Amino acid sequence: MSNIIELKNVCKSFGDTEVLHNIDLSIQEGEVVVVIGPSGSGKSTLIRCINCLEMISSGELVVDTVRIPEERGRVRQIRLEVGMVFQQFNLFPHMTAIGNVAFGPAKARKMGKTKAENIARELLDRVGLADFENKLPGQLSGGQQQRVAIARALAVSPKVLLFDEPTSALDPEMIGEVLDVMKSIAKDSGMTMVVVTHEMGFAAQVGDRLIFMDDGRIVEAGKPEEVMKNPKSERLKDFLGHVKHH
Amino acid sequence: MGFEFSVITESLPALFEGAKLTWFITIIGIVGGMICGILAGLGRIAGTEALGEEPHGIFKSISVVIRYVSGGYVETIRGTPIIVQAMFLYFAFPMLVKAVTDIERFRIEALTAAVITIVFNAGAYIAEIVRGSVISVNKGLLEAGMSLGISRFQLIVHVIGPIAFRRMIPPLGNQFIISLKDTSLFIVIGVGELTRQGQEIMASNFRALEIWLTVAVMYLIMTTVLAMSLRQIERKMKIF
Ligand SMILES: Nc1ncnc2c1ncn2[C@@H]1O[C@H](COP(=O)(O)OP(=O)(O)O)[C@@H](O)[C@H]1O
Ligand SMILES: [Mg+2]
Repeated sequence: MSNIIELKNVCKSFGDTEVLHNIDLSIQEGEVVVVIGPSGSGKSTLIRCINCLEMISSGELVVDTVRIPEERGRVRQIRLEVGMVFQQFNLFPHMTAIGNVAFGPAKARKMGKTKAENIARELLDRVGLADFENKLPGQLSGGQQQRVAIARALAVSPKVLLFDEPTSALDPEMIGEVLDVMKSIAKDSGMTMVVVTHEMGFAAQVGDRLIFMDDGRIVEAGKPEEVMKNPKSERLKDFLGHVKHH
Repeated sequence: MGFEFSVITESLPALFEGAKLTWFITIIGIVGGMICGILAGLGRIAGTEALGEEPHGIFKSISVVIRYVSGGYVETIRGTPIIVQAMFLYFAFPMLVKAVTDIERFRIEALTAAVITIVFNAGAYIAEIVRGSVISVNKGLLEAGMSLGISRFQLIVHVIGPIAFRRMIPPLGNQFIISLKDTSLFIVIGVGELTRQGQEIMASNFRALEIWLTVAVMYLIMTTVLAMSLRQIERKMKIF
């Protein structure tokens, strides 16, 4: 299989502070990569660089044939192929559930309204929210909002989905419903996924690769069970100890 | 000299003509001011993260120029009294034209000067209202929109616009009412709006109480209509 995402010697700085140091990472089509690491280690910045919400400071990024920085003008092409799910859901508050999901197909993919809504309805059904299509985000629980957000990201038929701590803002009883949706996407659709999460169960169950980041570097990477069972670095041992206690 | 109700009924036709002109100037001022205000308000934050993300290359330089031009406009208007702006446009601007060109008989109608002044004046304040509302839109929503691959234009029209507009309504109501009342200052360039009409009637019959009371009530009716229309729009949009 070919690489759909490639980072070559990527650095990212905010002002004078470099927060990603010489990252090399290749992700294959259909792969599910789980990223863990302590707060501030650069996990969010890493995945935000992939869909160019942050522009890399140096190095090279290739996403599905688009090369950054050479082809900066084609950032929108990358974003059409790389969807994102946020910790804070970020649903459009003035649109209903179906409006949120149909928005991408209608505006970004330029489909007709009916076609876009049909796609949206199908996806809301898939995330278990068929009965909630006319609800505004403010009328939905956190778990429901995040499932709508996942449906919204899927609606433009991306090749890659990025998740930035999708369950961290949820009450514990709602984490399961969101993880279940993510698992079904990983298993059924063969979607390429990059997931920042502290849900080690999810990592073990559906992750093809686990990446541990610390201080802007990829410190360890490998099969999730192996990395979890045999952490090499002190930092990872320490980190896993903390995660398990939660 | 007691309170004579007949004075009011006699002066009503003339006052009504004045009120019509006041309303006319105000409506054009509001519509034109909204257009100016949206352009200048967005202009002041062109190329910043408030409108999606920073552009690169030539667009970066263009956006800097747009920001300076918009900022210069807003600060110039806010920094000078509207009455001075009106007098400058009506009395001084024709002289300026004469001084720098060969056009001898350049004149601006008083009403034209009034309309231009109110449009640009309201526009400057509305620009700040627009800018404030737009930068208050949650950045996460912009990122969600951009992540779907929509264009900056679509982002502004479908995401930033509706959310920001909802927040603009209360301060806009304020500005519309201020603009309406500001039209009374055009008395200084001889526009026959409501205050001017009142002043003229007063000068002929000296019935200050009846005339200024009536004028005040007429202003109050017009500002109430404005305020209620905005409340109506606000209620319709109170869905999130
Ligand atoms: N927009 C920004 N401006 C300045 N510094 C930032 C910005 N975003 C992130 N950082 C810094 O970059 C580092 C990595 O942040 P982040 O990628 O959010 O870490 P994580 O997601 O692993 O918690 C942190 O030190 C953070 O303070
Ligand atoms: Mg983070």
